[in-house]
Amino acid sequence: MNGFSPQAHLLLTIVTPLLGAIVAWVLRSRGLAAVRQSAAVTSLVTLGLAGWLVIRFLGDPAAIAGIPFARTELPWLTGDFFDVKLSLGLDGLSLWMFGLSALLTVTAVFVSWEAITDRPVGFYALLLVLESAMLGVFAARDLLLFYVFFEFTLVPLFFLIGIWGHEERRKAAVKFFVYTLAGSLLTFLGLLVIVLWNTAHTGTITFDIERLTDATILHPLPMSAEGGWLQMVVFLALLAGFAVKVPIVPFHTWLPLAHVEAPTGGSVDLAGVLLKIGIYGFLRFSLPMLPEATAAAAPWLFGLGVAGIVYGALVALVQTDLKRLVAYSSVSHMGYVVMGLFALTPLAVEGANLQLINHGLASAGLFAIVGMIYERFHTRSIANLGGIAAKAPWLTVFFMLFTFSSIGLPGLNGFVGEFMILAGSFQRAWSGVSAPWQTPYLVMTLLAVGGVVLGAWYMLQAVQRVFFGPSREPPRHDSHGASHERLDLRWYEFAALAPLAVFVFWIGLVPQTFLAPASAAVRSAADNAAAAFTARMTVEEASLPVVHTTFAAPIASTP
Amino acid sequence: MTSLETFTLLAPEIVLIAAALVAYLGGAFAGLRHGWMVALVGIAAAMSVTGSQPGDDAVAAAGPVVIDGFSTFVRWTVLGVGVLLALVQSGDIFTSAASRGSGLRHGGTCEEAGTFLVMLAGLSLVGIAGDLVLLFAGLELVSIPTYILLGLKRTDARGQEASIKYFFLSLIASSIFLYGAATLYGIAGTTSLTGIASALQSSDATISGIATILLPVALGMTVVGTMFRLAAVPMHFYAPDVYEGTGPGNAAMLSTLPKLAGLVVLGRLLALGFAAGPSSNGIGPAAQAWLDLFWQLTVVLAAITMTVGNVMALWQKNIRRLLACSSIAHAGYLLVGVAVAAAAAATQAEQLPGESAVIGTRWTLGLGGMTASIFYLATYVLPTIGIFGALAYLGHRWPEWTAGSGPRPPREEIAAVDDLDGLSGTNPVAAFAIALFALSLAGIPPLPGFWGKLTLAAGALEVDWTAPIAWGSRRAWFVSLAVILAVNAAIAAAYYLRIIAAMYFKATKRGVQADGGLAGGLAMLTCLILVFFVTIQPRGLLAAATRAGTSLTSPLAGGVPEPLPRVSQQEKVGRIP
Repeated sequence: MNGFSPQAHLLLTIVTPLLGAIVAWVLRSRGLAAVRQSAAVTSLVTLGLAGWLVIRFLGDPAAIAGIPFARTELPWLTGDFFDVKLSLGLDGLSLWMFGLSALLTVTAVFVSWEAITDRPVGFYALLLVLESAMLGVFAARDLLLFYVFFEFTLVPLFFLIGIWGHEERRKAAVKFFVYTLAGSLLTFLGLLVIVLWNTAHTGTITFDIERLTDATILHPLPMSAEGGWLQMVVFLALLAGFAVKVPIVPFHTWLPLAHVEAPTGGSVDLAGVLLKIGIYGFLRFSLPMLPEATAAAAPWLFGLGVAGIVYGALVALVQTDLKRLVAYSSVSHMGYVVMGLFALTPLAVEGANLQLINHGLASAGLFAIVGMIYERFHTRSIANLGGIAAKAPWLTVFFMLFTFSSIGLPGLNGFVGEFMILAGSFQRAWSGVSAPWQTPYLVMTLLAVGGVVLGAWYMLQAVQRVFFGPSREPPRHDSHGASHERLDLRWYEFAALAPLAVFVFWIGLVPQTFLAPASAAVRSAADNAAAAFTARMTVEEASLPVVHTTFAAPIASTP
Repeated sequence: MTSLETFTLLAPEIVLIAAALVAYLGGAFAGLRHGWMVALVGIAAAMSVTGSQPGDDAVAAAGPVVIDGFSTFVRWTVLGVGVLLALVQSGDIFTSAASRGSGLRHGGTCEEAGTFLVMLAGLSLVGIAGDLVLLFAGLELVSIPTYILLGLKRTDARGQEASIKYFFLSLIASSIFLYGAATLYGIAGTTSLTGIASALQSSDATISGIATILLPVALGMTVVGTMFRLAAVPMHFYAPDVYEGTGPGNAAMLSTLPKLAGLVVLGRLLALGFAAGPSSNGIGPAAQAWLDLFWQLTVVLAAITMTVGNVMALWQKNIRRLLACSSIAHAGYLLVGVAVAAAAAATQAEQLPGESAVIGTRWTLGLGGMTASIFYLATYVLPTIGIFGALAYLGHRWPEWTAGSGPRPPREEIAAVDDLDGLSGTNPVAAFAIALFALSLAGIPPLPGFWGKLTLAAGALEVDWTAPIAWGSRRAWFVSLAVILAVNAAIAAAYYLRIIAAMYFKATKRGVQADGGLAGGLAMLTCLILVFFVTIQPRGLLAAATRAGTSLTSPLAGGVPEPLPRVSQQEKVGRIP
């Protein structure tokens, strides 16, 4: 065991899916069964490796304290101009997302078991390539490497949606790609400016994220008229890409289309992991590197998060298509994460980070089950479905479980995250903002609480119509023939859903397991921005004509 | 100076011309059938001769010929690209023959191959020209064979239209360039580039007085004349028609070789502003004006060109028209680098007497721009030739036809993007290659196009790095240019994805024939391998581009003004084998 260094372990975990893709391609002449079995084995092996890596991480006190684990550096493009390294490592911010990527790929493979019969080699190979890219995004410790993985995730998903999607798949694939690319190219320019800034001040060119973070703390980007508001400009540039990715509300229009048209396996990865890269980007770059700009933009993004919650919930309420409903619920739930992130209190930010995983589990589960329903009845229309519970009890149980998780039933994971976000936001609204902001913050937070109720409403209404009530027998999908005699879950569908359910309970009952390892990293990522926010509010407070007694001492950034 | 030395330095070009003569005469009198084989042998011979020329670091000059790192790079690129293009060209069949069902064409290749070799020689001459006259002669030696080749390869009406159109526009562009060159001669009284450069540095009131008036004319006309080679605004509009009216081989040639010529000319023109080094009184007013005008003009042209190209491409249905528009857009990207180099040179010129730049790295010393352009050109050329190679390889398709509705209609060339429908099923290797090339052109990491755009964007962002982004300042111009570049890259993705969508997301309606012969396929595979190589390790190509860019801008890179021997330039002869 000692011979297997964490560095090699991490590298192997990222490379394994690629090797699996090659194996699947080699097996292409052996037919569907061989291909999907090899994909399943690869995804399980990767999950095993990732899980083992997580365990090793948890056993390393230095890693828990915030020092990147399994740090690897290999030269890539080094020369006169660039110093790009293949630099990998895990820390508290990326640990769980790394594990989640591996977990959800297993789910994606198993939900596609019977659904994908056309060109299965391409499908599974792309799914595995996508897994590599996702693992790479979270493991990258080099800015350019991060960006390479960040963009590259688009390519496999583009093909997954465009080839194996539903009716409007071509339009959805191109829209998804161009929309995300447009945003992330601006992000790219912003990231380049950070690199150039560091070069200007330290005289060395580096793309290493830690060194850049340190440099931006030591030499903050100017946040004043003389400096051209550079920090704000860079923040907005980063925002362009991350906001589309999350998506934050005015930039969300690509998401329902992409989700509805994507094959189930693609939806699972898209909802479960790819949306999170946006939030991860905020936590990795915006908050630590551009604290003042983050502080200045925080109230507005907080508001946009709340707007997303309410808007997503209201739109979900009137959907007639079950998959669209789940897609809009994603918009709504990502609103909580955005809100928590920009509340900038330790509690809320940690909650947001946890909610990333929670939403990844719940939405992946919901999309998976919607896909299973579609496979059975060839419809996703809520009006055409009814009384599934009697025919498929296990399917119903799992759907209810993920529904409860996503609406925040106490005891399940969603509750912990939403509670932390809302409690942290109230903390911020109550005692962390200057007097003029206090009312808006309180109103926004209360609206978000209202969003929880709306969320319960649309999800339970959908559950009631689809699973209970009079049995409606939609026309069966004929192409699968005998395999659809049994309406309830089959073994591979259990294999897709059961791991998610385990974590839904685990996080719900013992959140500390998941919060503690991330805590140090999340706090240190948000610390600067929180301090800047408090400073900003204090300055505003001081400039007010009347001193308000309600303004309490700034919230300590670490307990 | 001895003429013998000039001849020695010109050896690779002479070899190319000799090979061209062999092809011409052999085809006419000895019944030679394998013209393109002669071309490949000729290029290989030229390569071996180039290998024995002075290396990268050496500077050799004799007569109007200058061999430096830049021109060496140009030569190697010309020859390397020449091999790929010869492969694509040899597999390119023209429609009329194919519609008669004759399959591969054997006759007439010798004239084409010879003409092609002359063109390569011309381009190589452009690279080594140290004199306006030789530069112009080289450019014409590129243009004239081009329209002959356009006319030779395709004899139907559209082919002739393309040839005539290119002929007239090329003449207009050449005359515009010639007016500009004549004006430069009027300013400096010499046609030697180093002579003009030193005249621009002159603080002599007469010269700088004349120069101030004539410079805008000289610069505008030479640059606009050069835009024709790059297929950039305002001389871009011929590209879609000409590409459509010719075969993939010629289209591949048109989208690469003239662009290289254009970039070389722009580089040489830009170097006029600083090549002589500032005199003791600081930079000459004329040189300063030259650099300022240069970046202002190229920034505007770059922004317009890439936007026009990309937006035009969005509406194209014909794949060669689409790629023509894409090549216009890429000309715009190339100009970004040139503009950055010009602005950096202007900055450097302003700073030279006083303090050095704040950032002590070479990145900001004004060669990021030229290096980026050269690097970008290389990352653009590979996938472009690859796509056209794939198209040449695919050749034709069967039109829609049902058995019993009469005889099967003749094959048609692949014209529309839709003709590639379902290619992933019928020809997966070609589909994969085209998809990869398209993604590279779109700039998706980690493909070569991404590395190219990275260097361009980084260059544009760091112009005047220390200045605030004030409205109308030089920095604001370049930051906007970087943003326009990014937005354009996103627009471009839309039409590149359309090609991929056709190949992968649609069902086959018609069969693609893949009758274009293996040479096109070989070019495609070579490009594929090279693209993979640059993807995994872009360092080698970047280092080569850096050497070339540094060599062109070396008077600046040293930081210390080091006046080159001006009058005695001709005595300065490097080591000659």
